[in-house]
Amino acid sequence: MDSTSQPNGNDRPPTSRSQSNTTSSNYIGKHRLTAIISQHNQQIQLIQEELDQLETLGEASLVCGQLISSVESSTDALLPVTRGPADGGWDRWFQRANQSSSSRHRRRWI
Amino acid sequence: MSVAELKEKHKAATETLNSLRERLRDRRSQLLDTDVASYAKAQGKTPVAFGPTDLVCCRILQGHTGKVYSLDWTPEKNRIVSASQDGRLIVWNALTSQKTHAIKLPCAWVMTCAFSPTGQSVACGGLDSVCSIFDLNAALDKDGNLPVSRMLTGHKGYVSCCQYVADDDTRLITGSGDQTCVLWDITTGLRTSVFGGEYQSGHTADVSSVSINGSNSRIFVSGSCDATARLWDTRVASRAVRTFYGHEGDVNPVKFFPDGNRFGTGSDDGTCRLFDIRTGHQLQVYTPHQQQQKGDSITSIPSVTSIAFSISGRLLFTSYSNGDVFVWDTLLAEVVLNLGTLQNSHEARVSCLGLSADGSALCTGSWDTSLKIWAFGGHRTVI
Repeated sequence: MDSTSQPNGNDRPPTSRSQSNTTSSNYIGKHRLTAIISQHNQQIQLIQEELDQLETLGEASLVCGQLISSVESSTDALLPVTRGPADGGWDRWFQRANQSSSSRHRRRWI
Repeated sequence: MSVAELKEKHKAATETLNSLRERLRDRRSQLLDTDVASYAKAQGKTPVAFGPTDLVCCRILQGHTGKVYSLDWTPEKNRIVSASQDGRLIVWNALTSQKTHAIKLPCAWVMTCAFSPTGQSVACGGLDSVCSIFDLNAALDKDGNLPVSRMLTGHKGYVSCCQYVADDDTRLITGSGDQTCVLWDITTGLRTSVFGGEYQSGHTADVSSVSINGSNSRIFVSGSCDATARLWDTRVASRAVRTFYGHEGDVNPVKFFPDGNRFGTGSDDGTCRLFDIRTGHQLQVYTPHQQQQKGDSITSIPSVTSIAFSISGRLLFTSYSNGDVFVWDTLLAEVVLNLGTLQNSHEARVSCLGLSADGSALCTGSWDTSLKIWAFGGHRTVI
């Protein structure tokens, strides 16, 4: 910022340089405005790209079909009815492990 | 260019942006010709039917003396790390209920924890804005505490969540109250990439959660108090691949769907949503029945605190601030069980949920200071 030239009164033609010298807030305003405009333009570009992409992507129903087949072709230990193969390890939570160490000697960890 | 001219440009750009946003919203809603539940019902699918003793609590892990805030399983089956308000991490063998480590943290205000892929280290973070790494095999210090092996510093706000990159003990992603996500190199302690933040477009409020794609670890999703979820490619930090709108409140948990092509979100608006990453479509909204009744004021809607999918994706587990833990049939968008009302349910809200690596057990962590393990103990039909 050129701090040596001073605002000079109304007979001076309003050039951008003199305006930028008049107040510091105008100068910062220009920088901020430029940054915001640039951000907006970036977002405009991104949204435009997304709109273009949408033309080729297809409806939700197509995706729903894919989702359902992916779920139904997978095995799941927590379902009452599931595709196999079952894994013997699934039921380890119900096998009688050595109980004494866990229930008898419960200590407070302070 | 003069200020006046810039102001004109700004006004024009804002108008273009707003009208494009509206066009995008309209075009998306035109493409939403159905949701998953309507599609599945039309195909004649029926909801998963649980008997009253099918999903049971088979372990209670007690030892914390404060609210449990976070938990994570190891990739190799049975171990869990949990973080609590008591300022400790505890490492458990969930099968035997034994504690293998109780780590006193340098900063007690912990919010998140994670197990490394090999199970050799754990990570945690919280109000100190640092992600701390502990080597579980290291020698204890003179006070009998496990020392911090690495501190990941650089966030300018609290660390709300962390997750290791699959099969890589040296890389980790964090989310923060400073509105950014960071990919770290643990060996050097340096940030490899920063997603969002001051000079890049990203979240505009605190990041509350992250989830890395299990099928492609270059892709992760983040959830934020700005009510959006964003999809990121770790190779491109400058902008999100896609931003997902729809929620009407802070997005708390996010979790990738098992097939890696969709993800779920939970929010302060009381709903969970399922989004498709390739198309950006919002495939389903999961709204608890109580909220569907008219007359509920916004203050009485319970927030979603945590979510997890079963290993096939057929079940969605969701916990709420009022203590409910719903099990949803993901395809039919119906609640098929409430773990919050079963025998042995928690006595306070569940703050975190996670499935074991083989999908055979669900762990819930609660403000009642305990963790519980739930598994299927009924008659199973394998087809």
